[in-house]
This record gives sequence, C-alpha cells and structure tokens, in this order.
Amino acid sequence: MKVERNITMSESFEPRIVAFLCNWCSYAGADNAGIARMQSPANILPVRVMCSGRVAPEMILRAFRSGADGVLVLGCHIGDCHYISGNHRTAKRIPLLRNLLGHVGINPDRLRLDWVSSAEAPKFASVTQEFVETVRSLGPIAEEMGG
Amino acid sequence: MEYQNVLTTCVYCGAGCGLYIQVLDGEIVGVLPDKEHPISRGSLCIKGWNATSFVTHPDRLRTPLIRRGDGFEETTWDEALTLVAERLQGIRHESGGDSLGFLASAKCTNEENYLLQKFARAVVKTNNVDHCARL
Amino acid sequence: MIEDVRAHVAEKLKELDGVVALRQTAVGTAPYLFREGDDLSQLVLGPRFPLAPIVSLLQKRYPEARFGIVGRGCDARALVEMAKRKQVDADRLYLLGMACTTEEAEECHCAEPAPDIELWPWAELIGSPAEGGAPNPIVAEYEDMSLEERRAFWQQQFRKCIKCYGCRDICPECFCESCALEDPLWVERGVLAPAFPTFHLIRAMHMASRCVACRQCELVCPAHIPLTVLYDLIRRDVGDLLGYIPGADIATPPPLSLTLEESPMRIELE
Repeated sequence: MKVERNITMSESFEPRIVAFLCNWCSYAGADNAGIARMQSPANILPVRVMCSGRVAPEMILRAFRSGADGVLVLGCHIGDCHYISGNHRTAKRIPLLRNLLGHVGINPDRLRLDWVSSAEAPKFASVTQEFVETVRSLGPIAEEMGG
Repeated sequence: MEYQNVLTTCVYCGAGCGLYIQVLDGEIVGVLPDKEHPISRGSLCIKGWNATSFVTHPDRLRTPLIRRGDGFEETTWDEALTLVAERLQGIRHESGGDSLGFLASAKCTNEENYLLQKFARAVVKTNNVDHCARL
Repeated sequence: MIEDVRAHVAEKLKELDGVVALRQTAVGTAPYLFREGDDLSQLVLGPRFPLAPIVSLLQKRYPEARFGIVGRGCDARALVEMAKRKQVDADRLYLLGMACTTEEAEECHCAEPAPDIELWPWAELIGSPAEGGAPNPIVAEYEDMSLEERRAFWQQQFRKCIKCYGCRDICPECFCESCALEDPLWVERGVLAPAFPTFHLIRAMHMASRCVACRQCELVCPAHIPLTVLYDLIRRDVGDLLGYIPGADIATPPPLSLTLEESPMRIELE
C-alpha cells in the first residue's frame, strides 16, 4: 500500500479523510446533510459500517497506510446505539489508539471520534468541516508515515 | 500425561538455531526457542517458530508415488526403490554419472543428507550435489 | 531457595498430577511437567520461559487433572489474565510462587517481582518479595520526546523487524486461533520490514488490557526491538483510561468488551 502525497506545486493541500459512519446514526446524518444541501467537505470518503463498534484498529491503520491523512469515526450517541452498547467499545478503543499513534510519533489529532445522530445533519457538516481543517494544518500523512 | 521439551536444531538454514520441540504425550504441540544457545540466544525466525509444521501436515505423503500417465499412483517402497535403482543405473550406464544430480533436503537429518552425498560421490561418481535451501 | 522449592514440589507431587517447572538436563534447560518419582535435582529456576501457556495446554488436554506451577510474579500475572479469559482454571491450579531477587527485578524493570498469592485459591510463596526494579529509563525519557523524535526512534526500531512473529508466539496472552497479524487485509504478505507502524500498533492495541509485562517478547526478538517500552505505554494508558491493571486481581473482568456502566472511563465523553 503506497502512501501518496496529495500536494502538487500549484495547489494547496487537500486532505483525504476516511470516515467510518455507523449505519443507524451518523451515516443517516450524513445522508440528511446531503439532502438538506448542507455544505460538507468533499474530502470525506465515507465507509458505512453497521456500528461504530465494528471499527477495528486494524481498519483505521490500514486507512492511514492507504493514504488517508485523517480518519473520522462517527457513531451514535452513548445510550442510543442500535446494538445497545456497541459504541461503548468504540468509546474505549479510539482514545487508546489515539494515544498509541502519539507514542510512535503520529499526530493523534489525525484520528477523531465523535457522536452524530441521524437528526444532527448540521453537526455532521460542522464536524467534518472542522476535521478537514485540523488535518489540513497537520499536513499530509506521508510526512509522518513514510513511504 | 507427559510433557517435555526436546532440544534440537532447526532444520532450515545454515545458522542452526537451537530450539525445543514441545511434546505432549508423544504429540508435537509447539516450539520454544533455546535460550541458552550461543548463536541464536533465545530467538528464532519465522521458519524456526514453524519448524515442526511439516511433521503432521495433511499434505505429507504417506506412501511412495510413481508417475504413471498423467497422475501419480500409490505404491510400495519395494516397487519404488526397485524402479529408481533400475532407472538411475540405466541413465548412468548410457550417459555417465554426471548426467545425474542429487538434491538433499532440509527435512532430512544431517546424517541422511551425508549419506545422500556419499552415495552420489562414491557410488554414482558425480559431484552434482546440492540442497533444497539453495533453490 | 532452590532446595526449598524442590522440597515443596516433592511434597505437592504426592497430591498433584504434575508440576510445571524448568528442568535442566545435560543438553539444556526448558519447561517440563514434573511427575511423582521424577528426579527433582533437575528442577531449576532459570532461564525464564513463559510457563502459563503450558498450564493452559495441560488443563485443556486433561480437564480433570490438578496441576501445579513454580511461577514468578510474571507467570502469576499471566495466569490471572488467562484465567479471566477462560484459558486457565484457577481452582484446579496450585501456585508455588517464587519471589525474584532484587537483581532479577532490576534486570526486568519489574514492579512486582513476586506473585500476589492473596489472589489465588491455592498458593504459597517461597522467598520474600524484593523491591520492584526501576522502570525502563527509555519510558521515563519518553515524556520529553517530541512527536518527531518518537517517530524517528520507532521508525528506526521497526525497520529492523523481520516479522518472525516471535513476539506473538511467545506471549502468554496470545492464544487467538485466528490472528489479525496474519490477515493479509491488515498486514501485507511478503513485505519486510512491515509497513510503519501497522504491525506493531495492531499488536499493541491487541495487548491492551492483556499485557502483564512479562517481557518475553523483548527477550525473544531477534532484532532487539525494545517492545516493552511500547507495551509499558499501553499498559499505562489502560490504567489511566480504565483504571485496569492486567494481572492485578482475578475478580475484575477485562474492560474493553464491557459496557461503560460495567467499566467506566476516567475521561469525559462529549
């Protein structure tokens, strides 16, 4: 899996973000944002999973290795998970992985966990916009992960 | 109810790392590195860690096979060895010992490989000897 | 100490089906199942091998048998975590705990160089617990290292990795039948060194709430990668985030698959 740089000489850096979206909440929220014609950045590559708890650390690391400059994991709010407690596991897992990334020198802010329900289209738009800007300021992943 | 570790040397490359084969009631159940080995010092490569996987591998032959037509047929040791001896003798007679080559195996013991090369040099009178590790 | 251990084992072998300990023969030293009548002068205390997986194997093969183990602090902690995950039955296991010396504790940077026999239904301790060894100095320096310095450090270390899977094969807590590290989706086949930092970070994440700091992984690594530094960091994170210390007690279930009510986090969730 080659990690490619996104920058060319004349363009500014457009981060590529892989977003794991849970089927019941955040994916629906993203869908609603689109229907309502809200502005969400085009940098987002959505991956629909049935539950944010499905997102294994291996998948996030593969996303980074494949060239994602940032990875966003969006799930249902705690207490609203379609599978009752799937998102509880996500809540524990992501902070640990963020710390680990920091331990090996990859900026942990490249990985973000947030909760977006299907009714929160505006939050989807704002979280994605914010995250794209955060990752833009961090630069391309290739600089941290090597070739 | 017997569990023990049998010390041996890895069959694969020339480093000769020391390892223990974990044996439970006569059955191989795993591998442990030899922590006191002066060369390998308690480490193994991936082949060493899996050095015993061929012993009970399902693909392992249970009988000799002879190629007949398009496929292989199971046979006895007697029939197989007789055929091999006749054909090798025949080829040596027609084309000389150097038309034969002998390939030793990582899955034989050093002693078996020694015998093979002795056979090649002293009986067949050829130096065409090599080992599967070099393929 | 050694004579004490042998005497205790001799006594216990009258009622146990066997005791797992290290045996020294003319050719070398390795784990062995001592049975009644075996020559106990062959029982020794080093070099250290992970003994917990052997107990697990024996108990699974002989579900009714009662075994003992001559175990150090690390062996006991490994057994605790295995017991929680149903790999070891603590009720059928006799722990002859052995306290490590101060030198041994220093060498392993070990904070608990003796088993906590209060945890075990059936145990005794030989030797008095030494003081814990000082932590690995690299871990202490770590806080002051910048992201770039950490990255340079680990890139240099992981570049040496030959993917022998020794760290996984020797680990007492690695008993999964299908391992994420062997899945070509996550770890490419035929690529050496493995792409930074995937292989080692997958392993570290899977070690979260399991690693008991036995340090066998680092001992076995042919490339001398300081793995325990990384795993010490994840152990600390699991402690900070979830208040969980692997090996500390048998009653507390591993937190990562529990709900937040069962095992709350110590940070605020938005």
